[in-house]
Amino acid sequence: MDPVDVQGQSQGEVCSSLRERSISENSLVALLQGMQGHVTTVELRDEGWAQGRLQNVDAFMNLRMRDVLYRGHNMGHTSKLQDLFITGRNIRFVHIPDHMDVLQTIQTQLQRIHRVRTFNREGGGGGRREYCPKKK
Amino acid sequence: MADEVEQQPSTNTVEEPLDLIRLSLDERIYVKMRNDRELRGRLHAYDQHLNMILGDVEETVTTVEIDDETYEELYKSTKRNIPMLFVRGDGVVLVAPPLRVG
Repeated sequence: MDPVDVQGQSQGEVCSSLRERSISENSLVALLQGMQGHVTTVELRDEGWAQGRLQNVDAFMNLRMRDVLYRGHNMGHTSKLQDLFITGRNIRFVHIPDHMDVLQTIQTQLQRIHRVRTFNREGGGGGRREYCPKKK
Repeated sequence: MADEVEQQPSTNTVEEPLDLIRLSLDERIYVKMRNDRELRGRLHAYDQHLNMILGDVEETVTTVEIDDETYEELYKSTKRNIPMLFVRGDGVVLVAPPLRVG
């Protein structure tokens, strides 16, 4: 394992699972995926919060974050964590950085997903088709 | 159905409850959430899970304190403002136009 690159998925890399891609492109999770690489604050269901760099977001909104300042609900103090995983169910809010263009981020992420589909399609017929070809 | 980005469906009629929310896109709305929270903000986007993106949000958290002696219920609310917020849909209870204070 390369010790330098701790990142799971770099900015915008699309999940290789077809199922997850379909879920992402049909919901606002695509925005969060487009935010990979940015620093945000995630507020949790149990009143805690975590502020750090979004490393990876999957279709179920599970997050991995790096260099996180985390405060649990019953803690009076914050902890510094190098790596944090948050289950999607436990998220209440995600703060969106001011500089971020929401529309553009979503469109870019959807384009990345479509590009992956096209790439798979062009596998010379050997690539897996994501949609049934039209019947003549 | 990541709305606001995809081509809007050609129909403008209200066919299902989510269409009512579509009518409020880019308007200020009131969102009641679980755990005695309320949000007031401008609806920028929503999806079928009721995940939403709200701008210029004011969050109100209401707590009830019981006075030890009189057993009175004291309602306290805490507010804060957030410029742009992504809200996870499973916390949303209802969505409505902003309430007018009587």
